[in-house]
Amino acid sequence: MNTKKTRVKHTPGELAEAYVYPVTLTPAQKKEADKQLKAARAKVQSEMTAEDKLTSDILQLRFQLEDYLNNEKFDPRLKFSYFLKAYVQLLNKKRKVFAREINIDETELSQLINDHRHPSENIIIRLELHSNNAIPAIAWYKLIEREKEHYIITNKTIRKQEEKHVSNRLTVDID
Amino acid sequence: MSMALVEIKTRARREVKITILEDDDYKMLTKKRYHFLWKSFRNRMDVAVYKLQLSGDDDILGVMALIEVPDESRIEINLLACSKENVGKNKAYGGIAGHLIAYACSQAVKRYGRDACVSLVPKTRLKNHYIRKYGMLDAGWQLFLEGKALNDIILKYLL
Repeated sequence: MNTKKTRVKHTPGELAEAYVYPVTLTPAQKKEADKQLKAARAKVQSEMTAEDKLTSDILQLRFQLEDYLNNEKFDPRLKFSYFLKAYVQLLNKKRKVFAREINIDETELSQLINDHRHPSENIIIRLELHSNNAIPAIAWYKLIEREKEHYIITNKTIRKQEEKHVSNRLTVDID
Repeated sequence: MSMALVEIKTRARREVKITILEDDDYKMLTKKRYHFLWKSFRNRMDVAVYKLQLSGDDDILGVMALIEVPDESRIEINLLACSKENVGKNKAYGGIAGHLIAYACSQAVKRYGRDACVSLVPKTRLKNHYIRKYGMLDAGWQLFLEGKALNDIILKYLL
């Protein structure tokens, strides 16, 4: 691709802030480039600190969570409990220790992770604070909201149960 | 993610979004304004093209083509361009390329976690500028972001 025209107008610094150009390597150059990259990456991986690894793990969890929330579909696998379990796992701490850090009982933490209870507002705020705002409370809240939304839309049993408490229903049909 | 560009003239922050390019968008991507022949990617199944826009505005300020290399937990930036009026000292907005590169990093870390890598093959004369501007690491023929360098660009531009 011809870049001569641009070269006249802009400095290399300005071009680097605006473009990534296509560069074609010969097969031999490509082979060498692959080899060089592999070696350089291995060095970076060997030098990653525990903090770097934790940051990567937290970012991964956050982007996966955001991705799920941006997608409108409910996924029964990706509940609050799933993401909480993932968060605790990436901390590499015993549940007992983490429960203490957010000042809840270990049993309560287990119930949350096993999807046997929903968290209170206090808990999701504590999770935000614990993650140093990496996973905001609003993201945890939206997960719970999505579960509730799905439950309300799809639950037939509760409709059956509540029928007896409703009388004199509207007769207009706008469904 | 909460992304914002700075409008150079007013110093105002403007929210932006990065999304996958739709088929209709190719009409807008002329060589005159976006420097390359973006239409050549139209039927390339191995390339994902993303666009950067101001929130609530259809105009495309930047565009980027990515190639996924799952075996290596890597995403390669094949091509990137800011729109013509966003190049050089009189550009309207700053940070378009930085946001796009950081976005590629966010996609890599989402898929590959701590093994994630984003790479590109630079033009020789631009190599040091990419290193200085985006903290890219030198691997000879290629530049790459991985580990702390990859995390840092995400934290700088996207969070």
